[in-house]
Amino acid sequence: MLAELGHFSLVLALFLSILMAGYPLWGATTGQSSLMASARPLAIGVFLFTAFSYFCLTQSFLDDDFSIAYVAHNSNSLLPWYYKITAVWGGHEGSFLLWVLIFTAWSAAVALFSRSIPLDMVARVLSVLSLVGIGFYLYVLIASNPFERLLPFYPVDGRDLNPLLQDFGMIIHPPMLYMGYVGFSVVFAFAIAALINGRLDSTWARWSRPWTLAAWVFLTLGIALGSWWAYNELGWGGWWFWDPVENASFMPWLVGTALLHSLAVTEKRKVFKSWTVLLAIAAFSLSLLGTFLVRSGILVSVHSFASDPTRGLFILGLLVVVIGGSLLLYALRAPALTSVGRYEVMSRETMLMGNNILLSAATLVVLLGTLLPLVHKELGLGSISIGAPFFNQMFTWLIVPFVALLSIGPLSRWKNQPLSALKNQLLFAFLLAFFTTVLLGFAKDKVDYTAMLGLGLSVWVLIATVQEVRQRIAGMSASQGVMAKLSALTPSHWGMVAGHLGFAMMLVGIAMVSGYSEERDLRMSPGDQVELAGYHITFVGVERLDGPNYEGHVAHLDVYEGERHIGDLAAEKRFYTVQRTVMTEASVDIGLTRDLYVALGEQLPDGDWAVRAYVKPFVRWIWAGALLMAIGGLLSMSDKRYRMARLVEAPVSGNQQEVAV
Amino acid sequence: MKRIGLFLLPLALFLFVTLFLLQGLYSDPRERESSLLERQVPAFTLPDVMDETTQYNAQVFQGQVTLLNVWGTWCVTCAIELPFLTQLKEQGVRIVGLYYEQDLDPDFGGKSLPQIQQSIRDKLSQLGDPYEFNIFDVSRDYSIDLGVTGAPETFLIDREGRIRLHHVGDLNPRIWEQKFLPLYQELMGP
Amino acid sequence: MRALMIVVLLLLPALAFAAEERYPFDDPAKRVLFVELTEELRCPKCQNQNIADSNAMVAEDLKRKVYQLVQEGQSKSEVVDYMKLRYGDFVYYQPPLNLITLSLWLLPLAFVLLAVVVLVKKRKRSKETNAHDLLAEAEEWLEKDK
Repeated sequence: MLAELGHFSLVLALFLSILMAGYPLWGATTGQSSLMASARPLAIGVFLFTAFSYFCLTQSFLDDDFSIAYVAHNSNSLLPWYYKITAVWGGHEGSFLLWVLIFTAWSAAVALFSRSIPLDMVARVLSVLSLVGIGFYLYVLIASNPFERLLPFYPVDGRDLNPLLQDFGMIIHPPMLYMGYVGFSVVFAFAIAALINGRLDSTWARWSRPWTLAAWVFLTLGIALGSWWAYNELGWGGWWFWDPVENASFMPWLVGTALLHSLAVTEKRKVFKSWTVLLAIAAFSLSLLGTFLVRSGILVSVHSFASDPTRGLFILGLLVVVIGGSLLLYALRAPALTSVGRYEVMSRETMLMGNNILLSAATLVVLLGTLLPLVHKELGLGSISIGAPFFNQMFTWLIVPFVALLSIGPLSRWKNQPLSALKNQLLFAFLLAFFTTVLLGFAKDKVDYTAMLGLGLSVWVLIATVQEVRQRIAGMSASQGVMAKLSALTPSHWGMVAGHLGFAMMLVGIAMVSGYSEERDLRMSPGDQVELAGYHITFVGVERLDGPNYEGHVAHLDVYEGERHIGDLAAEKRFYTVQRTVMTEASVDIGLTRDLYVALGEQLPDGDWAVRAYVKPFVRWIWAGALLMAIGGLLSMSDKRYRMARLVEAPVSGNQQEVAV
Repeated sequence: MKRIGLFLLPLALFLFVTLFLLQGLYSDPRERESSLLERQVPAFTLPDVMDETTQYNAQVFQGQVTLLNVWGTWCVTCAIELPFLTQLKEQGVRIVGLYYEQDLDPDFGGKSLPQIQQSIRDKLSQLGDPYEFNIFDVSRDYSIDLGVTGAPETFLIDREGRIRLHHVGDLNPRIWEQKFLPLYQELMGP
Repeated sequence: MRALMIVVLLLLPALAFAAEERYPFDDPAKRVLFVELTEELRCPKCQNQNIADSNAMVAEDLKRKVYQLVQEGQSKSEVVDYMKLRYGDFVYYQPPLNLITLSLWLLPLAFVLLAVVVLVKKRKRSKETNAHDLLAEAEEWLEKDK
């Protein structure tokens, strides 16, 4: 019964979406404000019906209703209740429903927090969102219905949730990622609405900036969580593999980062308008493309969903309509956009644009690296692989000019910045970074020039950021104290500082892990010891393990650094009985400057155990850096120029927590 | 209207990519061509799995069209294809087995050779014995030389000892008719 | 008695067995090469994993083969060629160079060059443009927003 209600609720949501795509847009075109005003309640209605449908599916999981095919395939009566809730997005159909739910939540958020934006604009934005939404609903209802029944013969118990997904990181990773992906639909809708309207002045940039920031913050956290999850769950201590699915999330992030900066320029200086609009379209288009790549099974990836070509064809059709349509509209309308601001070659505008170009080039590298194996094969040239060696090489090349611009950009003025005025600062920062790196790099017993380059670049960013803050407060009145001056800086300025420092921090982590990790592939029996990067590891023994839906072994290892006891590590090897899958639960001693990572492998015939031990220096900095970047995004959003603070204070009912980000 | 050429570029690129995505939907991303096609069977000297004193080398593929079937008793899919392979043998197709054992590996399990031979006898008497003989890939080096990724896999080798076809996965009547038979008949000649 | 304890404690580490490496190396350079190769060679059976991270049998076999070849003193390109001969270009994560794969490097470069040219050209043009009508309206909105 619940399943039928959920299904019906989705049909109603589709129906409301059709209304919402038509009425407000028609109203905005003909100037009828009553029609325009229908957009807000409709958006909230669509959200509520979708939420109810999602609730029905969740309840069916909690009830162990295995007559529903999706529940039977992705759950099991032995699964703990919290995993039953997260299992809702453990498979294709449910995760797409979550995607749609989040999409409608963003629309509802636009409806609620857009009081300061003219009604005709809101009406157009919500209609555009709804046009896209219709495609999603049709897909769910026609090709990927999560409420399909297995009647009259249904299984006694379910096939269980994929053990890879039975982990805390996985509970929050997909919703975060989807919040980011789908969040770019808002800025996309603003851009399209402005294109339809023909009013692409800087107002749309101002309005869409907080939305872009919000989506970007979620995407940053989502990707970082995914990386953290892979690190803990896959058992080989990797944090990024350049897998097509990872790339699919990385591309919108790169474009989103470019978009954030480009929006700032367009808002403040009224230049690069057509470029910013293109980025807004690209960010959401790449999110959709990512969805297609993950769900069509077109590429070989560790994480992709099992799938059939009909679904792929449906999503591809959706892509052609949404992306193709927007790009066509862009081609027709964008030439009319003219930039009015003037600027010299040496100016903040050019620096920001330079980094926009580099970020887009990086996106192109990822896109080519992801899709070229497919093209290569379809042309009959055979299968090739494009992985870490290629991407690492390209990103090493790209990051040097990127960091140079990132360091100089914030120091320079809008319009015109003679290089000579910055000469001393730049020389100081560059030399300080250079010598610090040389000192740090050669202090290690192993010299790794790529890692040193990474370190040097991060130090450069750090110094330049400090210089920028100093330069900024130097301009304030001398009577104030330093603290007073610092607190006079706007939140969005601090947001930039945090974002850039977060990037530097992440770069430190990446450089250190890639350059100075140590690993050993061992066979151990109780009493065996090993020395690794100054740590003394003793294999104490192995115990049997009994979980709710798995069994297995846990190995205890004792770790000393010299005389100091670091801790006991308990690395697990689990066998999930229903899915008959073996999973590694690595045990990690985390630290500010290094992680000690131990994973248990197979038991060898002579009774020994295969054990992998890693020392990963500064690996935490990668995720901490991402967190700092996200905090930077939040700080920028809280700036009162975007009036989010005032909006949150306003008495608005409903799902405030979900949207007041 | 100003020139829209540059502004049409994104749309053109997108549509270009879409073509390949569409084509990609209808092909299996896991399917790969073998890199050994049209090449001579790599050289080897390996014993018979049932009798270590009998040694084989690449000469065994000279003069006859042969199916080389990579298998093991531990492999579930291999057991499924045994009856069909036996049918083929009864139709006169020459089938040679390349036997490989994961349990003999110190890293995987500790079976002894007599145990393996017993399990082979059991399996073949139960499901049919299509093999003229079984080459024993003791250390699995030869499998690597052949580009084998697992079991079962089947090679079609012509009279000159060249590899003409490499199939990954089980050999069933459909695969045989579509993939093997035309080439097999051509190789057998009139 | 106490002296004896100390002697025992001192001996204890020596009594424990050192764990055996699965792929032991005397030459650290060879170890580095081995780790690099196993991370850059793709497991031909798996979804998308290198042979270092995969536990599939073929990955273990290839790892052992890489170990053997590296111990024999073969260079990186020799080992890669050995694998490519048997498993095709697919087995190596660095794509081969040909007309199609060249675009991996050339297209991003072309993009950067094109973008810089457009940026410079547009800047020149913007100097000649008069203030836009919509600008005034936009300013109005921004004012109201403050």
